[in-house]
Amino acid sequence: MDIIAQNHEILIMLAIGFGLFMAWGVGANDVANAMGTSVGSGAITVKQAIIIAIIFEFSGAVLAGGEVTATVRKGILDASVFVDSPHLLVYGMLAALLSAGFWLLIASSSGWPVSTTHSIVGAIVGFGAVGVGVEAVAWGKVGTIVASWVVSPLLAGTLAVFIFKSLQKRIISTEMPLENAKRYLPFYVFIVGFVIALVTLLKGLKHVESLKHLGKDLPTSMMIAVVVGIIASIIAAAIVRRIKTNPEDDADFQYANMEKIFGGLMVVTACSMAFAHGSNDVANAIGPLAAVYSIVESGGDIVSKSVLPSWILLVGGGGIVFGLATFGFKVMRTIGKGITELTPSRGFAAELAAATTVVLASYTGLPVSTTQVLVGAVLGVGLARGLASLNLSVINRIFLSWIVTLPAGAIMAIVFFYALKGLFGA
Amino acid sequence: MARNDITGLFGKSPISPLQQHMKQVHLCLKEFGNFAKAAAKEDWEKAESIRESINKRENKADDLKKKLRMNLPSTFMMPFSRRDLLDVLLIQDSIANITKDLAGLMMTRHMVLPTEIRATFQDLIAGCVKTSAAALDAINELDELLETAFSNRERRVVDDIIGKINNLEHETDGVQNEIRNKLFALESSTPPVDMMFFYRAVEWLGETADAAQKVGSRLEVMLAK
Repeated sequence: MDIIAQNHEILIMLAIGFGLFMAWGVGANDVANAMGTSVGSGAITVKQAIIIAIIFEFSGAVLAGGEVTATVRKGILDASVFVDSPHLLVYGMLAALLSAGFWLLIASSSGWPVSTTHSIVGAIVGFGAVGVGVEAVAWGKVGTIVASWVVSPLLAGTLAVFIFKSLQKRIISTEMPLENAKRYLPFYVFIVGFVIALVTLLKGLKHVESLKHLGKDLPTSMMIAVVVGIIASIIAAAIVRRIKTNPEDDADFQYANMEKIFGGLMVVTACSMAFAHGSNDVANAIGPLAAVYSIVESGGDIVSKSVLPSWILLVGGGGIVFGLATFGFKVMRTIGKGITELTPSRGFAAELAAATTVVLASYTGLPVSTTQVLVGAVLGVGLARGLASLNLSVINRIFLSWIVTLPAGAIMAIVFFYALKGLFGA
Repeated sequence: MARNDITGLFGKSPISPLQQHMKQVHLCLKEFGNFAKAAAKEDWEKAESIRESINKRENKADDLKKKLRMNLPSTFMMPFSRRDLLDVLLIQDSIANITKDLAGLMMTRHMVLPTEIRATFQDLIAGCVKTSAAALDAINELDELLETAFSNRERRVVDDIIGKINNLEHETDGVQNEIRNKLFALESSTPPVDMMFFYRAVEWLGETADAAQKVGSRLEVMLAK
């Protein structure tokens, strides 16, 4: 207890510093994955993508990220083990932040597969099991998290198949794809707006003090979600109306104008992807910071129920903006150039499926990888015979990233853990 | 910079290279028509230059074929089977190969067809070119098929073209028979070796239409998944 009291300020400062570092890594790398497909389809410019990212990543983290933050903060480890030695948990969380940040830096500059989520979870489990003891890890919860890494891409893939098949039936393979696109697309946008809003209201807002009563009030939440959905679809309809179609473009290729309509709506899907990414990946990046803060502020009380102060989210948001500004735009441009094969209609289906899946995962508090969920969704579109060729070796890379990232995050976290322990005293 | 999972996910589309290949192959066969006209006038200089141009196109088709094969690792997931795609490619390629061999044969032997069959031989060439043009049309529908994710509506379009290919091929069979009958009547008055190669030229030419038809039926298999 004394250690925490003595080093109160320095521990908080370290946590903020490491948290910024980590969030910077997320902004530099991960955000581009979530939004690269929108950029690649030519619907939005890199600049617009960054503006969207800043607004929606942030609101996703604040409005819907609470549950994931809570899992990372106190779900992975068994809090009761740390009651007598809360400083160990502080060291561990600091070590986890630092190792995940470092791993992102090393891996992304060396071209290895990276996932923020996996490095954070690996790091926390690593220091918990080795630094403290195997019993410190809540293995049941860890098992659920690992299972969600398999389930979430599968779910996104399945959703993508359904969304794409219904697009095909209602729009793409009809006699009048252009008219039907204009007619039906706002409806799809309504559903997405509704789902995201409902999930956010029911679970996410628990962590925003003034709004948390909404989560217990299902009818009101439903009403609000419907309103949000309607607003989203009105915006979509307005976007669709503003798109200029040129009948001459359809002379040689029938679908040019229909794709234009889908392209306009990629702005909407980009927003929902950014929101989803914020609600999960950003939230799990600031989880350790939240843990350190709550322990240190309460003077060593592990199970304190203190509400997250908003400045912690600001650290997360600020780090991401900084990451985007320094490296993210470059990565986004590279990715955007790399994905010319994904036409707007395919991108629309894949991103809607991915965003919905990630938001649902955030609802249950499971930290998943947005990138891998998106890969699953794109493969789903491929299964529905919507894409010319997909390189399945990417699946191997994902397995590789699990196998490499988890121990790498863990080992680094253990090293940092002992270093911090040596520095501040056990 | 990191090799990205998202960018790494998208392979190059095999459709456009396949279409380019079929186009080269078709042009090969089309040029053979000019070659045969020059040969009929015994203008061997002109025939030789056309033959060279046919060879050039055949080489180009070969390059396209190699390139497509190299860009098609077995880890690729496509809306049709990799096997079927490679089969279509191989059959397309055979059209160019046969055309090249046929031009080569007629060139080295300075083959002058008997006047009785010259007109019908030109008809046969025209029929084969038409069949391969229809096969090219069918292959060119592939990107529309992909755009609609192999919808039934688009499939019917392709089915119609395939039906057309079959009819055209059937017509070339008839013309081939006609030529053979005429050749049979000439057998006693023509040197046997010449006769043998006349038969062979007609057979090879007919094979191009057969191959074009096979392109169509393979395409049908590709769609029926």
